[in-house]
Amino acid sequence: MFQLTATPARALADEPVHIRVTGLPPLQIVTLTASLKDEKGYVYQSKAFYKANEVGELDLMEAASIGGDYVGVHPMGLFWSLKPEKVFRRLTKQDVMNSPFYVTLNLYDSVYVQVSTTDQPRASQTVERWFSGPGVQRVQIREGRVRGALFLPPGEGPFPGIVDLFGGRGGLVEFRASLLATHGFAVLALAYFLYEDLPKELEEIDLEYFEEAANWLLAHPKIQKPGIGVISVSKGVEIALAMACFLKQVVATICINGSNAIYELPLRYKDLVITPIPSFMERMQIDVLGAVRLRHYKGDARDELNQKSVLPIEKAQGAILFIVGDGDECLNSREYAEQALDQLRSHGRNNGRMLVYPGAGHLIEPPYTPLCYASPHRLSSRILLWGGDPVAHAAAQEHSWGEIQKFFREHLTQTRSKL
Amino acid sequence: MKRGTCFILKPTIRPVKDVMTSPFLVQIKLCDSNLPLAQIAATDPKVSVTLERWYRAPGVTWIQVQEGHLRGALFLPPGEGRFPGVIDLFADIGGLIEYRASLLASHGFAALALAYCDYEDLPLHPEKIELEYFEEAVNFLLRHPKVLGPGIGIVSISKGAEIGLSMAIHLKQVIATVLINGPNFVFSTPQVYRGQIVTRSKASETFFLPIEKAQGHFLFIVGEDDKSINSKAYAEQATEQLRRNGKDNWTLLSYPGAGHMLEPPYSPLCCASKLSKLHLFMQWGGEVTRHAAAQEHSWKEIQKFLRKHLIPQFSGGRKLPK
Repeated sequence: MFQLTATPARALADEPVHIRVTGLPPLQIVTLTASLKDEKGYVYQSKAFYKANEVGELDLMEAASIGGDYVGVHPMGLFWSLKPEKVFRRLTKQDVMNSPFYVTLNLYDSVYVQVSTTDQPRASQTVERWFSGPGVQRVQIREGRVRGALFLPPGEGPFPGIVDLFGGRGGLVEFRASLLATHGFAVLALAYFLYEDLPKELEEIDLEYFEEAANWLLAHPKIQKPGIGVISVSKGVEIALAMACFLKQVVATICINGSNAIYELPLRYKDLVITPIPSFMERMQIDVLGAVRLRHYKGDARDELNQKSVLPIEKAQGAILFIVGDGDECLNSREYAEQALDQLRSHGRNNGRMLVYPGAGHLIEPPYTPLCYASPHRLSSRILLWGGDPVAHAAAQEHSWGEIQKFFREHLTQTRSKL
Repeated sequence: MKRGTCFILKPTIRPVKDVMTSPFLVQIKLCDSNLPLAQIAATDPKVSVTLERWYRAPGVTWIQVQEGHLRGALFLPPGEGRFPGVIDLFADIGGLIEYRASLLASHGFAALALAYCDYEDLPLHPEKIELEYFEEAVNFLLRHPKVLGPGIGIVSISKGAEIGLSMAIHLKQVIATVLINGPNFVFSTPQVYRGQIVTRSKASETFFLPIEKAQGHFLFIVGEDDKSINSKAYAEQATEQLRRNGKDNWTLLSYPGAGHMLEPPYSPLCCASKLSKLHLFMQWGGEVTRHAAAQEHSWKEIQKFLRKHLIPQFSGGRKLPK
């Protein structure tokens, strides 16, 4: 009798699952599939073909997939290779507190290139993937101008505080903040446009809004003093770096695939206005699938004429970690990180560090998030290309997630306090 | 219909043309580059021009073919003469694909676009490919008063090339065969000729078709980035087999960066499309710029090859071997 086990059946979305099958005919080639339905009803699926060993067992920690959505030994391959039935959709958990993603794992006893609705799996198990752990609290924030959600770990605290910034998609993206809170950080997922009464379009970066958020967080009784961290991706990186440069309370900043200079919109902080470096629409490229590659269209941040738009990173007092996907098709992330580090070095500073992941794309997210290679963007009728090779991107997500938490623990945790 | 836009918006649809009655209309617009990307499509251009892209030259005639078992369409160049005859075979997606045959006719060939499955009364999914059907097509073409003999050519792609290769081996009237991204063995559907299954070569123990038995010439066209079959390996194996048998009746054109769907020039790259039979998207491969260059180059080479071997004065007289 075929038996499929996946443990733990109920886990955080960033935890691995150990999948095993027993009771197969020896050396039988089987199909394993995974599927989930997101909160809007879109279905994501993946499959892999494996060969059972001589005693009819299969352990995904050791066995290599022969074909399907991935090949080779990838214990979590079924999760990170999930693909939407409706192309170019990006999988994002909206409700991070009250429900998990349910991932159904099915075993078929031979090679099923296509699984039809009438095919019955020989074994099946559903696992729960949660974006917050027991005891994590979510607090809706509407303080002054600040809009977002604060995630607090269980317990009295105080906890190291982090502001979590996403990019040009706008709205409030919570899943990374809730996961970090489960790992012991107090995280403010901060919206800055296209959310509640915030502007619908981003016309400038008003750094005083982010200063207000940082100050509010630091003043919270459950947040450790004297400094907070910022984690950011894509457009959020410009904001995070500006916070690091101008706000002393920011002592640890993580920048994932963003630029070290201001683009498209001006940044304003009190009397200071940083004008953006122009972009050149004529340099945009359309790839073979019709998706837009924007990697080459931004003006050169190393050009002498653009230096007034480059953030004065040498003013940042805290530690900065750049996380770069070398296969980023949206931004030349590596170039920006290298320029920032050069700038630090030329001022005798050594508080910057870079992790470059070959083959990883723009959207580096917590582990096991399926690669979103391209997706629609609100500013364009076209699909935007993010890039990334699936295997390399999955490995980058696993590795960087550990590094992110290590970095914040190192630079935010007071040595005398216990978490 | 804007073919380029159609391809970009719906990469899963391969545009197939009604060749006789209407061209593709390609509109080229000059727009102000200051416009945001999202607005360009909806805004009036400063100036625009519409190009007509025809798949047949003026005077090309189309004749429906429903003789005996044959189903297809014969395209004849304008004028009185006799024209070198070519049979045009596509892959087994079914239907009748005419645009390459009509283009060949526009360049002076009498081209028979031949259907072999899922068209009119032909079987939807043939259980076997009977070479007698294709032999009938060869004889039909050679009998036609406007077709120059004594031999004919074949242009074939993918599964069509599997058939084209068998035809070249078994039918001595086939004297010039273009094989685009095809296997050199019988893949999936068995082939039968005169009651015998076409597979093993008697001379060797392999499954490869006995290409050394063919008397005509071969032009292998390979897209090295073909993601659906290992075209390069198969063509190299086939030419190696010819070499081992002392034959030099072949040319191999191998294009780095070109994919499976090598078509006439300026056809947009179809790097993946849906095969309704399999309910799957199939990847064909190909890198845009290099695939385009390969299509341009190979199309000229195909015509040169066919003229050289089918028109006597080009090769100093070619006699059909007895």
